[in-house]
Amino acid sequence: MALAFDEFGRPFIILREQDQKTRLRGIDAQKANIAAGKAVARILRSSLGPKGMDKMLQGPDGDVTISNDGATILEQMDVDNQIAKLMVDLSRSQDYEIGDGTTGVVVMAGALLEQAERQLDRGIHPIRIAEGYEMASRVAVEHLERIAQKFEFDVNSYEPLVQTCMTTLSSKIVNRCKRSLAEIAVKAVLAVADLERRDVNLDLIKVEGKVGGKLEDTELIYGILVDKDMSHPQMPKHIEDAHIAILTCPFEPPKPKTKHKVDIDTVEKFETLRKQEQQYFDEMVQKCKDVGATLVICQWGFDDEANHLLMHRNLPAVRWVGGVELELIAIATGGRIVPRFQELTPEKLGKAGMVREKSFGTTKERMLYIEHCANSKAVTIFIRGGYGLGNKMMIEETKRSIHDALCVARNLIRNNSIVYGGGAAEITCSLAVDAAADKYPGVEQYAIRAFAEALDSVPMALAENSGLQPIETLSAVKSQQIKENIPFYGIDCNDVGTNDMREQNVFETLIGKQQQILLATQVVKMILKIDDVISNSEY
Amino acid sequence: MASMMQPQIILLKEGTDTSQGKAQLLSNINAVTAVGDVLRTTLGPRGMDKLIHDDKGSVTISNDGATIMKLLDIVHPAAKILVDIAKSQDSEVGDGTTTVVLLAAEFLKEAKPFVEDGVHSQNLIRSYRTASTLAIDKVKELAVSIEGKSVEEKKGMLAKCAATTLSSKLIGGEKEFFATMVVDAVMAIGDDDRLNLIGIKKVPGGNMRDSFLVDGVAFKKTFSYAGFEQQPKKFLNPKILLLNIELELKSEKENAEIRLSDPSQYQSIVDAEWNIIYDKLDKCVESGAKVVLSRLAIGDLATQYFADRDIFCAGRVAEEDLNRVAAAAGGTVQTSVNNIIPEVLGTCEIFEEKQVGGERFNIFSGCPSGRTATIVLRGGADQFIEEAERSLHDAIMIVRRAVKNSTVVPGGGAIDVIPRQLCDNAGFDATDVLNKLRQKHAMQSGEGASYGVDINTGGIADSYANFVWEPAVVKINAINAATEAACLILSVDETVKNPKSESAQGDAAAGAMGRGRGGGRGRGMRRR
Repeated sequence: MALAFDEFGRPFIILREQDQKTRLRGIDAQKANIAAGKAVARILRSSLGPKGMDKMLQGPDGDVTISNDGATILEQMDVDNQIAKLMVDLSRSQDYEIGDGTTGVVVMAGALLEQAERQLDRGIHPIRIAEGYEMASRVAVEHLERIAQKFEFDVNSYEPLVQTCMTTLSSKIVNRCKRSLAEIAVKAVLAVADLERRDVNLDLIKVEGKVGGKLEDTELIYGILVDKDMSHPQMPKHIEDAHIAILTCPFEPPKPKTKHKVDIDTVEKFETLRKQEQQYFDEMVQKCKDVGATLVICQWGFDDEANHLLMHRNLPAVRWVGGVELELIAIATGGRIVPRFQELTPEKLGKAGMVREKSFGTTKERMLYIEHCANSKAVTIFIRGGYGLGNKMMIEETKRSIHDALCVARNLIRNNSIVYGGGAAEITCSLAVDAAADKYPGVEQYAIRAFAEALDSVPMALAENSGLQPIETLSAVKSQQIKENIPFYGIDCNDVGTNDMREQNVFETLIGKQQQILLATQVVKMILKIDDVISNSEY
Repeated sequence: MASMMQPQIILLKEGTDTSQGKAQLLSNINAVTAVGDVLRTTLGPRGMDKLIHDDKGSVTISNDGATIMKLLDIVHPAAKILVDIAKSQDSEVGDGTTTVVLLAAEFLKEAKPFVEDGVHSQNLIRSYRTASTLAIDKVKELAVSIEGKSVEEKKGMLAKCAATTLSSKLIGGEKEFFATMVVDAVMAIGDDDRLNLIGIKKVPGGNMRDSFLVDGVAFKKTFSYAGFEQQPKKFLNPKILLLNIELELKSEKENAEIRLSDPSQYQSIVDAEWNIIYDKLDKCVESGAKVVLSRLAIGDLATQYFADRDIFCAGRVAEEDLNRVAAAAGGTVQTSVNNIIPEVLGTCEIFEEKQVGGERFNIFSGCPSGRTATIVLRGGADQFIEEAERSLHDAIMIVRRAVKNSTVVPGGGAIDVIPRQLCDNAGFDATDVLNKLRQKHAMQSGEGASYGVDINTGGIADSYANFVWEPAVVKINAINAATEAACLILSVDETVKNPKSESAQGDAAAGAMGRGRGGGRGRGMRRR
């Protein structure tokens, strides 16, 4: 904080450690904040769209992430500046709520900030700019609502869903197989969706990845995939019509939780103890057999003796299955999680049509497929790929892309309205906002126009990233939209030859787009409202 | 021996700094004005926010006077008084914290020329006291009572008060939306003084318009064990059992040890332990409750047990949430599962687990007593929600105040400094607007008394007609507190700084301290 001096040139001390603090106020503070926000947006700008580039990020411990996903990039960048952090929050917020469009929202906010800077130079009060933005955002959101199209779908005809997911995937590294991945995502979401309540619990979709193989081998499993194998190599690898006992107790003699000691002073007692232990094992296995279980899935381990016994009694078993997976298996197979052997009953067993162990390539890695379950409300997407790169980068990026696609499908189930992608929605909003600007008296008018201009920056970035002439392309599309009064014209990123996004089948969700505009406005308002930054000078 | 050395009388410890007289008074005034200047720009609907890093590196973005004052970490003794009045305004009324600081600073600034001209400060104090009484009387005279209006009308008026408070905050754009929410929340808890019955939950993500009010209780899904997903997630009119015990398989007594001499007794001990927990669980089930909440852990065994019996459970529920459920659903928190009588079970119309953004929430709505409310706040960034929470807190306090005192006054500027600053912050010509306002207020008929600054057009307008309202108590308290503070500072003519307390102010500042001590002495100059 700048020191205050009295008439003798001696400073006041008003704040603690005053000379350690720096203070930025007024227009300087706003400029500095805007610069920080813009810097973040600039980084992401080149990632936008189907021809957007990826970022390689190296973490502190040397592991590398390659991603195209805005939220992931910002998360990994570990920014320190507060305003930049706001942008990270913005992207994350879009991720939480919508799951897609995390890059677009940041680019949008950056453009708004850039425009705001110009308005500030004109001498417009920052709050009035923010207010103007808010009015404009309302106009844009309403306009989107008007131009949005609804489409009907059901479990059998889900083509529009697939198309929308493909739009999302086209900007990712996996766009080679976007068709099949989009189908997988849509099928997965439809499998777990509660179409009546329009609710999708994404927790029921497990995304599992394994290095190796081709991306094309990625598959949807109507059931659960567990990265575990049978506890004994000689157990059967293939069980049909399995009755599964799902246990949270270990295959070992029960122990009281209270501290205890068994006094053994004679050989006989030791013998009894041993015998009893053996008897326990025997009883446990017998109990499982009695209720008709043909497979045991256990949260804990069991020692070799039990393992051997299980093998011997022809009862295949899987050990060390995590709690979350256990729960998913229970849900999928319709079984109950059983906390101790005494409570095993035939009704509590889960049922699966097929359980098989599959090994991959020449490696010894094996995974357990639990398929044809009684209740198919839990599915797994199993991602392959990596071309033997030996690292998980590709798999991780695919997981993120699938996540985005899943979110898009979920959003469509919640609200089946779509708008057209490829910048078409932004361009039409920009036109609408620009037209609305003239109706507002007061300084806000300038801010509203600035908002319209900021909206243009998204298609502009798209064109730029696709190697087109940005200004030329944008103005051509814009005039086309006005001339024909059709809001479907966008940037032809893939050089298909038409600007009509309906023909190209480039869709985005309405709620996603609306959210982008509202969130970006909100954060920009927050940044503009700060006129005083007090910090310790090391920041 | 005329040159007898007169022994020096040492009164104070070495290094003690004293400063006194008029110079001291002026210096104090300067310090206070400097602090007032920091807050100046946050006033009003066009006020700005401050971004403050504290020593730990965490950051706050705020518009709330009390919050900013607290974070500024002021050490100047006179300026500290301002912090205190802001705090007192915050705890007393909850809003108007910026106003009170600005008023106090302005009173002192006005006093400065008089002090320089040699007017005795006690005289000033006396006149200020008189002036403040006059001002308060005037406020009371202007105040409009909302007593005796119908509930609907009252609600509308309260919402307007809340909107006035919110208009200066970050969420000002959606002030009507939040104002209604706040009023509904406050009306829900009725006359009860327990403010903690209004819960505010923050969920990052989404738009602020996605925020919603639950006429009951909502809290984030607690940590759950395997089996939880198999529990039903929605009930109509469920019975709710509230517990403060652990439902886990564990040793009953921490330091007990069991010694067995016969290995065959082993099983009986194991069974005994299991029976204890099963006994507890059975009792929970027998009570007929469909939702079991506990402040302590509900283990995996219990989770699965309940799942088998179609009961929903949540362990490790935060105490305040549990208390809110108890108040809302009409149950009582049990510390034992023995003797659960139907009276201790609560109920509500709908219990549901719902997805809110990236989180899942347990929501109890339609509670019989209806004396709780939960506001679930959504917003684009963590900082955003933090600030929104502070703003809502202010609004809630204001509404409660208005309910209690039942009188409102027009806002938009009552005493000179406030409208001037409002204009400055909004980018208008302050002098011009002020003169217009004065003219209106000076009108004989008195009809101009409710005129204030119109932020939207840059002129003046009838604040009353524009629904810019504030509860009278806020203004009264602000004037009172500011006068008190100003008088207090005016009455100080000597500061004695103990050297010890100075070094305690921080080693890092020690370098500046040598020079900085002079701050208390000599005549000051306003900060640029």
